[in-house]
Amino acid sequence: MTWARLHLLALAEAMRRFAAQPLASGFSIVVLAIAIALPVIAAMALRSVGAAAAGIDTDPHVNVYLALDASDEDVKRVGEALKAHPEAAQVRFIPRAQALAELKATSHLAEILATLDRNPLPHAYTVRVRTTAAERVGNLRTDWSKIPKVDQVLADFEWAGRLGRWVRFGNRLLAAAWLLLGGAVAFIVGHLIRLQVLTHRQEIEVSQLMGATAADVRRPFLHHGAVQGFLAGGLAVALASGLAAWTGYELRALTPDYGMELKVVFLPPMETLTVVLGAAGLGLAGAWIAVARELKRFSVKA
Amino acid sequence: MIQFSSVAKRYPGGHEALRDVSVDIASGEMVAVTGHSGAGKSTLLKLAAGIERASSGMVVVNGQNLGALGETALAILRRRVGFVFQDHKLLYDRSCHDNVALPLRIAGLGREEAARRVRAALDKVGLLARERSNPVALSGGEQQRLCIARAIVNRPSILIADEPTGNLDADYARAIVDLFVSFNQVGVTVLLSTHDEASLGRLGCRRVALNGGKLAAP
Repeated sequence: MTWARLHLLALAEAMRRFAAQPLASGFSIVVLAIAIALPVIAAMALRSVGAAAAGIDTDPHVNVYLALDASDEDVKRVGEALKAHPEAAQVRFIPRAQALAELKATSHLAEILATLDRNPLPHAYTVRVRTTAAERVGNLRTDWSKIPKVDQVLADFEWAGRLGRWVRFGNRLLAAAWLLLGGAVAFIVGHLIRLQVLTHRQEIEVSQLMGATAADVRRPFLHHGAVQGFLAGGLAVALASGLAAWTGYELRALTPDYGMELKVVFLPPMETLTVVLGAAGLGLAGAWIAVARELKRFSVKA
Repeated sequence: MIQFSSVAKRYPGGHEALRDVSVDIASGEMVAVTGHSGAGKSTLLKLAAGIERASSGMVVVNGQNLGALGETALAILRRRVGFVFQDHKLLYDRSCHDNVALPLRIAGLGREEAARRVRAALDKVGLLARERSNPVALSGGEQQRLCIARAIVNRPSILIADEPTGNLDADYARAIVDLFVSFNQVGVTVLLSTHDEASLGRLGCRRVALNGGKLAAP
């Protein structure tokens, strides 16, 4: 008998066992699917945050605000001093008129701003710097504060670094969740298969007496575990994508308010496939461990 | 066909079921193992079928030294030996047909060929009409015959039966004995145990007597 035929028969036997207990099998698959769906949803959430964060300019910038009474001459001189600094990668001048126009365009303060008789904003330089190290940024601020007619130096990018750190923290948390829930899936499948083995203990014993090898006994259980994992993985992906569609609608509606694209990012196809096949693999592993243990107990006293 | 050379069997706990047993059974021969309860009859049959291993000595079946076979090879040898268990070992969650089909399923036979052979085996033991029944619905004698059908369905060259006529009334016992005689007549090597004198007389074959795990004087 060919290897493929042996496995086909084992698969048929596994499906027969599924069909014999449809309710119990269904519940088991749902329990497994929920366990697998949790890290899938967590991964989706992290990707979504990551995608939103990617839309934000996270390059390190230092804003240099000039005094209100700075003359054009002062502006030019400060600009040259900034450009000459070794830590400055790019220097961009924002005239006070442009700053006011931008403020009017992007906020709801237009009415209040219109009542002002003069522009309250100073000229400013936005400098992209070569470092994010706190000490060097501190030195920059000290250096540039000393330039005449410079009023304030703000290094406004620490939050971007913190955001990156939060995303990395989330990734680690996710890895731990995958590990724990992956283990849970293997153990749940193992336990379910163990119950199956106990239910079939008489059949196993008689089959072994009739000449079934350990592999013959093991095969349908392995198929059972793998199919259970596969179906649970598929259901988990379906659950997660359903959730993504449901929550994504509300999130997209918020996009215009925040000036960046907010959306729920679903796992790419390769990762989705990995989740389903990984669940099948865990099911297989759980079944293998459970059957090996029980086979030892029931083995024909040869 | 089956050779026992100085075979001993000790079970965990120290009970010695067989001691220094040497027996030769030729191909196509029928042999009855006799002896009182606990004499070691069942142990001898299980060793011949590869269901248990000898503690010492050598058991050779079909030219294969069972002691030298691994678990898988031993399992495959069991497929070629039909065994009728004293306690039947039937599965009560499936039909008579499916019980008899079990050895064929293990051998990987196709569904149609298996069904054909199952029906032939059930017909041989007179249970074809009960094909779809559950074994629970059968009488003791019928269950015994079902067990025989399962043992012969794979057309084994060796048929071993442990007390096949135990607990049966005389008519049933006679019918069962006749079945074994008919299998032997078509060339099957038959090894069975019994302590029923009437059956032994009807079998009319060589006897191997055991007493306290040892061969009794002939």
